[in-house]
Amino acid sequence: MINYRSFSVEELATDEMFRRWIMDPTPEIAFFWNRWTDENPDKVVTVNLARELVLSVQSIYSDDLTDEMLRREIEEITRMAEERKHHRRLNAYLPAIWKAAAVIVLIAGLGVLYFTSKQIEKKQVTSIPTIEIPALEVRTNATTHEVTVLLSDNSVATLAKGSSISYPKNFAQNERRVYLKGEAFFDVSKNENQPFLVYTNETVTKVLGTSFRIKAFDEDNTVLVAVKTGRVSVFPKTEYEHTEEKRGHAGVILSPNEQAIFNRKENRLERGSVQRPEILVESIVRRTQVFDDKPVAEVFILLQKEYGIQIQYNADLLAQCRISAQFDDETLKQRMNAICQAIGATYEMMDGEVVISSRGCN
Amino acid sequence: MNKEESKYYPSDVSIRLWQKFKAGDSDAMGKLAQIHYRSLYNYATKFSSDPDFIRDAIQELYMDLWERRTFLNETAFVKSYLLKALRHRLIKESIRLKRFQQPESAFFDGNESDPSVEVHIIEDENNRHQQGRLKQIISLLSKRQQEIIYLRFYQNLDHEDISNVMGLGRRSVANLLYRTLKEIKEIWTPAAFFWLVTLGSWFFSIGL
Repeated sequence: MINYRSFSVEELATDEMFRRWIMDPTPEIAFFWNRWTDENPDKVVTVNLARELVLSVQSIYSDDLTDEMLRREIEEITRMAEERKHHRRLNAYLPAIWKAAAVIVLIAGLGVLYFTSKQIEKKQVTSIPTIEIPALEVRTNATTHEVTVLLSDNSVATLAKGSSISYPKNFAQNERRVYLKGEAFFDVSKNENQPFLVYTNETVTKVLGTSFRIKAFDEDNTVLVAVKTGRVSVFPKTEYEHTEEKRGHAGVILSPNEQAIFNRKENRLERGSVQRPEILVESIVRRTQVFDDKPVAEVFILLQKEYGIQIQYNADLLAQCRISAQFDDETLKQRMNAICQAIGATYEMMDGEVVISSRGCN
Repeated sequence: MNKEESKYYPSDVSIRLWQKFKAGDSDAMGKLAQIHYRSLYNYATKFSSDPDFIRDAIQELYMDLWERRTFLNETAFVKSYLLKALRHRLIKESIRLKRFQQPESAFFDGNESDPSVEVHIIEDENNRHQQGRLKQIISLLSKRQQEIIYLRFYQNLDHEDISNVMGLGRRSVANLLYRTLKEIKEIWTPAAFFWLVTLGSWFFSIGL
C-alpha cells in the first residue's frame, strides 16, 4: 500500500488519486480519502496545503475552452487531415538514403491507396451497416505448467493450470475486457483512457495499468484478487452492472499488497492485506535468467523457450546488439522493457506474438 | 506498472488507434488530437490571449504530425513532447508577429527579470489576510517560476517531462522547483499556521 503518511505537500499535490479526489472524485476515491484523513488527523495541514495548491493552480490557469469548442476543433482537425491525406512532409534531418527510400514508400503507398480507395468505394455501395461484435479468442490451460498469453494491448496474462481466459483479438476503443475462469496473474499496460476489466462469474476487477492475481475457480467458495503494483477496483458483478452513481461504495479499491475476497454465498467483498506474499509473482516457478554479454537473438530464443511465446525480429538488424542482464522475479513485460531499452528498440504484441521494432545497434 | 517503466513504453495511444493513424485514417488523427487537446490549449493560453492564433497553432502542430506520420513513433504523441513542440511554435510565431503589433503581456512569455516576490508581498501587505493568498503569491512569481509551478501542478508533469518541455537540464529543473516551492512556503505557510493557531485558540476560547 502506498504510504501517504510520508508524502510531502508536493508529492500529495501531484498524486493522481489525490488530484482526482480534489477535482473530480468518484465515490470510491472520496470514500478512500475521507477515511484516510479521518485515520490520519495529524496530516490535516499537509492535506489542506496540498488541496489549496491544486485548487489555486487550477483556478489561476483555467481557460475558457468549452466542450462544444473542443468538439468543433477536433472535427476541424479531422476534416483537415482528410483533406491533406496525400500531403507528406519529409523530415529535413533524414539522410539522403532515407529520403530516397521514403519516396519509394510514398509512391508505393499512393499506389496502394489508389487501389484500396477504389475497393472501398465499391464496398460502401453494397455493405449494410452492422454493429461490430469482436469475436473472442479462448485459451485454456490444460497443461501442468503456467501458460503465457499475450494480449493485443501489450498486457500479459499468466494462466494457471486448469484455467481459461477469453479476450478479443483487438480490444474495443473504450475498454479492454477479458473473461477469466480459474486463476491468472495479469501484468497490464497502462492506458488511462481504456480501462482493463477482468470479468469472473461474480466479480469485475477494473484497472488502468497494474499487476495483480485473480483466483476464481468455479469449485471454490471465494474469489480472490491480490494486488502487486498500482491500484485496482473490485466490484461484485451484480453491482458493477449498475450505473456509475448507484455503484457507490459497493466496490473496494486495493493498493499494492492488499487483497479482496469475494464471498460467493454472501455476495460480499472483504478487503485485507495479502496473506501469502508468494502469490504476488507472475510465475509460481522461478524464472531466473542471467545474460552475460549475449547476442540479443540468443536472449530472445531463451525467452521464447522460457515463456512458450513467439518473438518476431529482424535478425540481420539486431546482429550487433548484445545484452547483459540478470532477471529473477521480473515479469515478462519488465524483461522485454529492459531488453528493448538497452538496444533502443520497441515491442508490440500482435496476434499473440511479440514483434520487435528496431533500427539495429552499432 | 511504475512511472519509470511507462516512460520506455509510451502508452498514451492504443496500438489499434496508432495503426489506423499510420494507415492514414483521418478519424484516428482526430481521436489522437483529442487526447491532449485540452492540455495543449490551456498551455497555449499562457503564451497568447488570441484564441484564433492558438487554434491555428494547435491545428498546424497536428497537421505537421499528420503529414509526417509514416516516419513517427508513438513518442510524438506523449504529452510532454506535444507541449514542447507547441511551445516552440508559439514562441517562434509570436516573435514573428511582434514585428507588426504591440507585444502582448502573456504569462510565460519572455525572459525579463522580475523583482523578487518579497517586494510585491511587502507592497501588498494590506491585503495580507484576504482569501486566495496562495493564488496571489503564485501570480507574483517570476514567469519562469510560474511556468514550472504550472507544469508541475496543473499539467502534473514529472521533473523529466518538465526538463524536456522547458529545455532545461534535469538539475536546473530540480533546483528551480525547489527554490520556487521554498519561496512559496516561506511566505505562505506562516499564514496557514497563523490561521490554525487563531482558529485553535478560538475553539479553545469557546470551550470546544
